Amino acid sequence: MEEEVDEKELKAAGAELLDGGRSGLRILGWEIETRKRSILNSSSLQLWEERLGTTHLPEMVFGESCLVLRHLESGAVIHFNAFDALSGWKQEALPPVEVPAAAKWKFRSKPNKEVILDYDYTFTTRYMGSEKIELNTTLEERISPKSAGELSWKDCEERIDLAALAVREPILFYDEIVLYEDELADNGVSLLTVKVRVMPSCWFLLLRFWLRVDGVLIRLRDTRMYCRFEDISRPTILRESCWREATFQALSALGHPIDSASYSDPSIISQRLPVITHKTQKLVMSGNS
Amino acid sequence: MSDLDRQIEQLKRCEPLKESEVKALCLKAMEILVEESNVQRVDAPVTICGDIHGQFYDMKELFRVGGDCPKTNYLFLGDFVDRGFYSVETFLLLLALKVRYPDRITLIRGNHESRQITQVYGFYDECLRKYGSANVWRYCTDVFDYLSLSALIENKIFSVHGGLSPAISTLDQIRTIDRKQEVPHDGAMCDLLWSDPEDIVEGWGLSPRGAGFLFGGSVVSSFNHANNIDYICRAHQLVMEGYKWMFNNQIVTVWSAPNYCYRCGNVAAILELDENLEKQFRVFDAAPQESRGTPAKKPAPDYFL
Repeated sequence: MEEEVDEKELKAAGAELLDGGRSGLRILGWEIETRKRSILNSSSLQLWEERLGTTHLPEMVFGESCLVLRHLESGAVIHFNAFDALSGWKQEALPPVEVPAAAKWKFRSKPNKEVILDYDYTFTTRYMGSEKIELNTTLEERISPKSAGELSWKDCEERIDLAALAVREPILFYDEIVLYEDELADNGVSLLTVKVRVMPSCWFLLLRFWLRVDGVLIRLRDTRMYCRFEDISRPTILRESCWREATFQALSALGHPIDSASYSDPSIISQRLPVITHKTQKLVMSGNS
Repeated sequence: MSDLDRQIEQLKRCEPLKESEVKALCLKAMEILVEESNVQRVDAPVTICGDIHGQFYDMKELFRVGGDCPKTNYLFLGDFVDRGFYSVETFLLLLALKVRYPDRITLIRGNHESRQITQVYGFYDECLRKYGSANVWRYCTDVFDYLSLSALIENKIFSVHGGLSPAISTLDQIRTIDRKQEVPHDGAMCDLLWSDPEDIVEGWGLSPRGAGFLFGGSVVSSFNHANNIDYICRAHQLVMEGYKWMFNNQIVTVWSAPNYCYRCGNVAAILELDENLEKQFRVFDAAPQESRGTPAKKPAPDYFL
């Protein structure tokens, strides 16, 4: 936990912080935990490369950092980690984006003498989080095991209640975790982060993939999740994903600045970027009712 | 105590100089740097340092581990500025030491010592914030144009920020480059500051960005053989362990910014060479929190939507 929370506020909300040096809290049937660790060392990176079937990974992979939201009664776990996110990158396998200097380099390079690498160095991922059912096998449950349900996301018409989120309830727990980051060899930034805040009435999180290839492209893929603490045994979890993207050329045509320094903070400029796709889904738990 | 010694003491406390002092310091530094070769000769013993990136308190930790200049002879491989909080103080301290002890510290240019890059990655904004104008940024970036491109230690170890270039096969070819300019977008000078060694190519490779060379083991072997050098020492890429050998000990990457960007948790390293060129890597952690001027900024709870 990053800041001292008022004990009284926690108590009033029926929440308690996790102990044993863990970062997070338990609140109304949920256990929410964050873990922040160093970037992977060379030998772990090599192992990940083998497991992911790639020869290149982001410069900074926070492979042991994560956010985990565990619904204690159903065993449903929603979690965010770099490995699954990079699997999403590997599956999507977008073609590489050329930087502005590439045009000049075409005349210079001698293709017959050079190997041209062609992986997606932007590490763009369609990752929207991971979910699984994880039953706590206490003795009692081993004697009469609950059948593990399945989790799936179904499209829905409901929307995340932004008005409710704008209410200044006390934040009982807040954290921000970087999952991976790459400086694109000083040609911009590729950054995957997840932020979470827990209030007395709900939890809310934002998984954000942010890409800026200087002079070429800006890409923002946001996934928001929201859960009100209403039905403690059958929570409703909404997931909204919004992908935005614009080329510097298109931004310039709209009269927006095109220097990279104007695009350092995605939350400030996101409205300038046209929406590519947008959808809302609801988490459905089946088989364990 | 001379003005310069006083300025060094002030900078060691992470207090920036006055604008007029920066201007005078930069002019003096340029007079010294203009005389240096593109392949600056360096005598052993020497301690080689990689990227610093404005992490002033971690650089002080580096000097604590490696010894003070001028007692220790230093070679810095560039990327003094950008990303960290104290690019101004970091670069000015190194520059003041260069002016005070020109034969005991060698500074070569990294790809961040450039007008274009510093406008995107922090140094320009930091100068504006600390001085209220871009003048200090202008004086410093003028000095950048004078920094040497590489160093040669006892004719045996070639040091450069990035790596090799397909346009360069001999050190003499580097010596003929007209370096006093902004780092170009292509050509030999660009490659020396930007290129990277790459395991999966044997010869030359081109980055998927469409610009930027990658070089494999056979390129390094031929270069080292043709120039009669033992190995190449370079920086430019973050290494969790602080240093990394490649291609059968023919090239080593040295990284000197611990806990890079204040969140990576990596260690840093410097490479000490004694008078017989015997190597010793000194690995070190980020400066302890209490020795930093300001407390670490924890993310404040934020009503993000």
